[in-house]
Amino acid sequence: MHFFLLQETIQHGAAEAPTGLLSPTGGVMVWTLVIFIVLLLILTKYAFKPITKAVEEREKALADAIAAAQRDRDESNRLLQDQREQIAVARDEAQKIIADARAAAEQVRGKMIEQAHGETGDLLDRARREIVAERDRAIADLRLEAIDLAIAGASRVIGKNMDEQSNRQLVESFLASIPNSKIAPKVTV
Amino acid sequence: MLLAGPGIDIITPHITDAHAIDYPCLHPGFVCELPLPRWAPIHIGSFAIDMSPTKHVVWLGIAALLCVITMLMAARAHAKTTFGGQRAPSGFGNGMEAFVLFLRNEVVIPNVGPRGDKFVPFILTLFFFILFANLCGLIPYGSTATGNISVTATLALVTFVVVEIAGMREQGAGYLSTIFYWPHDVPLAVKMPMTLIMTPVEIVGKFTKPFALAIRLFANMTAGHVVLLALIGLIFTFKSYIVAPAPLAMAVAISMLELFVSLLQAFIFALLAAVFIGQIRTSSH
Repeated sequence: MHFFLLQETIQHGAAEAPTGLLSPTGGVMVWTLVIFIVLLLILTKYAFKPITKAVEEREKALADAIAAAQRDRDESNRLLQDQREQIAVARDEAQKIIADARAAAEQVRGKMIEQAHGETGDLLDRARREIVAERDRAIADLRLEAIDLAIAGASRVIGKNMDEQSNRQLVESFLASIPNSKIAPKVTV
Repeated sequence: MLLAGPGIDIITPHITDAHAIDYPCLHPGFVCELPLPRWAPIHIGSFAIDMSPTKHVVWLGIAALLCVITMLMAARAHAKTTFGGQRAPSGFGNGMEAFVLFLRNEVVIPNVGPRGDKFVPFILTLFFFILFANLCGLIPYGSTATGNISVTATLALVTFVVVEIAGMREQGAGYLSTIFYWPHDVPLAVKMPMTLIMTPVEIVGKFTKPFALAIRLFANMTAGHVVLLALIGLIFTFKSYIVAPAPLAMAVAISMLELFVSLLQAFIFALLAAVFIGQIRTSSH
């Protein structure tokens, strides 16, 4: 390196003093300062400010868009919740209507069955009463027939025309002594 | 310079500043030097400042110009495709937006802390300016302005000023506590000697940070070029075409590394600037 430096000195001679690597020169420093400050001013005004401004605007636009999207999502969530609630309410109502209808139908059915049962009972009662009445009439008829037959039979057997009136009283008193069940079979319905 | 003979230094002229710029031409070596104008030094008091433009100043200007062109194109492409922030950008605008947004969201705001927005342009300018200056050094006939200690020292000084002003504005009177060590939770007898010992340390610490920034960038950019030129120099040292492929392959590999280092050092400078601003804004001692 010393050799090189020596050559350097010889080459450039006395015209220029060898520039020390580590010794700052005032002129270059002033130039650097001027160039740097001019560059700082130009770049700040025409390059960095516009770029930064555009970026900040874009960041703001993005933030706004994100906020708007968030708002919209919240809104739609709220609407969805409302719809869900309404659907649930409607479903409950439908269930209630169906249950009510079912209960009403059940009630009507019960009532109708009851009514039918009542009517059947009435019919049966009437039938029973008619049967009983028919039986009683039949028994009475039978009695009269039996008296006539008995008198005819008895008059034939004793061959003697009995006093109509007194005989009849005799037989009637006899028949009255016999219980009903012996003459007429029990009517069952 | 490319036809360097024995004993001719090809490294030092490449990494040091000069009052001429190289440009391609058909003369032997395919390089010509365009001498830059020399102005009389300006005297400010007892200081004499030679304001003549040098090779590094010119390349710094080219880097700044490329930076402006790139970023303004990016801003235009960005504005054209985003429709005032309504849509995501595409293409070139999107690529630059990725850079800008990464530095803003991952580097500046987490490190600088609350209300870090106002430091974003400064950190971004540092990053892109250093990046373009670094990359200019990789162009043939180009020169690495960030391999000049004057340039890196100035950038570090600017950072230093920004850091200190950020501290003053954020902390007000509390800024003094970043200079004078004055602990609150120890007795006075301990406090006095502590202050006497720690205050110089605090002050040295303040200047160490920009100093490290300047040296780190300068050393990284210089070292890469020294290695590259040393490898190329092997060809001339051995004076053999047979040897040439090996140093050439290594030089290509180192160039790739340089490409990465250009990006990395620009990022580190910007990141550390953001970290220092954040530190001074939140420091409580």
